[in-house]
Amino acid sequence: MHTFDRRSFLKTVSAAAGASLLCVPQARATTAKARVVVVGGGYGGATAARYLRLLDPGIDVTLIERGTRYTSCPLSNEVISGERDIKTLQSGYGGLSGRGVKVVHDEVTRIDPASKSVATASGEAYAYDALILSPGVDFNFSAVQGLTQELADTRIPHAWKAGPQTLLLKKQLESLPDGGRFIIAVPPGPFRCPPGPYERAAQVAMYCKHHGKKKAKILILDSNDTFSKKPLFEEAWKALYGYGEGGMIEWVSGANGGKVESVDPGTMTCQTTFDQHKGDVVNIIPPHRAGKIAIDAGLANFKGVWCSVKPENMESTAHKDIYVIGDSCVGGEVATGNAFPKSAHMANSQAKVVAASLVAKLNGLPPPKPIYTNACYSVVGHEWGFSVVHLFRVENNQWVYIKEGSGISPVTFGTPKAPKPVPRIYRKMEAEYADGWLRNLLADSFA
Amino acid sequence: MRKVLVALALTALGGFTGGPATAREGIEALARTCNNCHGIGGVSVGNSMPSIGGLPVEYLRTVMKQWKYDERSAITMNRVVKGFSDDELDALAAYFAKQPWKPSPQRVSPEVLAKGKSAVSEKCEDCHGITGSDPDVGVPKINGQWAKYMELELEKYRSGEFKMPHRKMKKAAQEAKPAEAPAAARYYGAQNR
Repeated sequence: MHTFDRRSFLKTVSAAAGASLLCVPQARATTAKARVVVVGGGYGGATAARYLRLLDPGIDVTLIERGTRYTSCPLSNEVISGERDIKTLQSGYGGLSGRGVKVVHDEVTRIDPASKSVATASGEAYAYDALILSPGVDFNFSAVQGLTQELADTRIPHAWKAGPQTLLLKKQLESLPDGGRFIIAVPPGPFRCPPGPYERAAQVAMYCKHHGKKKAKILILDSNDTFSKKPLFEEAWKALYGYGEGGMIEWVSGANGGKVESVDPGTMTCQTTFDQHKGDVVNIIPPHRAGKIAIDAGLANFKGVWCSVKPENMESTAHKDIYVIGDSCVGGEVATGNAFPKSAHMANSQAKVVAASLVAKLNGLPPPKPIYTNACYSVVGHEWGFSVVHLFRVENNQWVYIKEGSGISPVTFGTPKAPKPVPRIYRKMEAEYADGWLRNLLADSFA
Repeated sequence: MRKVLVALALTALGGFTGGPATAREGIEALARTCNNCHGIGGVSVGNSMPSIGGLPVEYLRTVMKQWKYDERSAITMNRVVKGFSDDELDALAAYFAKQPWKPSPQRVSPEVLAKGKSAVSEKCEDCHGITGSDPDVGVPKINGQWAKYMELELEKYRSGEFKMPHRKMKKAAQEAKPAEAPAAARYYGAQNR
């Protein structure tokens, strides 16, 4: 990882802010103008804490997070295939502490919206003027009969929170026999990282291709009938690994019975709507819902599993002064199928909106005009990557999906009547961009 | 007083509707969306993403407009800029041009440095200057720009698969021998000032 010491970082930030930032009075414990508690130290929570302090050091910010080291989900499929060291995806919380964020490693067990305080497992209580919740997702293991948290930790990893399960799945892949079958079960949407399962299939295929397992099969059992960046994935799968009948990668849609209903861990067999599929490696990604703490606090008022928030500032529509960001919230143009994707970049973007909004509110300034952006790169082979970008604005207190500023990498060149393939150099460039994006995204959230 | 100071800090990183500084404030909010990939103040920490803080306003304005109107090829940025109005792009160009240029000098072997310098003095110096820090008017500084990014850009110029409207740059890149382009990129990437 490129090192970026705090001094040079602060210089950069001051430069970014111009001289004005330096003029903001420094925080004194006794004069903090407001207490903001941030729950969850992933991309969303870290960015919120960081930008609050950048924008107004007079705010007392406490970040409560279980772990002491964060592992990025974006690009963690490259860890499974051995293309990337997991350390390149990790960050501690020293950067945030250095900015004056009080980082507490604890678990929030209860939120009391009435008294505006949170309680933690270690018995502490934290009062807040504003609470930012960024708990990520929880997995509904019971939706797949036979699946449990314990199985996920030992034999049937989802590896959908980067960390130990990512390394477990990597080990399982390494011991996959040539001719063996690697099953990836995709839950019904919405789920975190929409292109992730399909990128994973490609990374697994790449590993097999280059490690004497050319006869291996990757079977994607999907609960859905289409997926993110589909034409881009299919083009790459076909060109690099073989796709469909006789190819290395096979995709079974929900309509064709792809949904995994149950699993028999004894025989490593998945039962779908119509069939049984036995795998040597079984990677079931369970259906998602908002983080448990958000559901327990009564914030999951969208279909009972996601948290509805206000477009202008991400405040919960269930409880005042609680802001829900990241994978737990629902936003965007849901009705037109253009919901916010559950991504790291999106969480970072939402966090900046909350930070600016809160700082304005706490200082009696007019509310800022929010803008939400997303970028997400997928790497599917050596020198082969592509991306999707999203842009949302807020008009009349509604999210508006800006089509002109959104979309996936080009699928074809030429005209509709005479299409031409996109030159390979385009895919090569985006494979390189992916790493630069990740480095900057990590720094913009944790440094 | 404190309110004013915080408002100033906010305008540096945030954005507002209403109030006396509406235009400026809106721009700051837009600029923050660039940080995810280009770093705060346009100082990138990822080697395939360029630093953009402190580049000439006309350069930033021109490339963003060219991407927007499909006069210049990009792969990601051409999609991103299409969501912004011309006024917003102009303001973003002005915002990033006002930031100081922060080189990120990268280590390189003496052999590559020598090879790069020779290529640079023959093909690049005329516009970019011998260290990249003293270019012609409107030409971006590239001392301590990320070498990886510059190598990729040069590949775009050389491949013939991209619409690259700057004829002089295109000619120089295409005339370079295959090993010269990456050496020049690494040479400039190694420069501090």
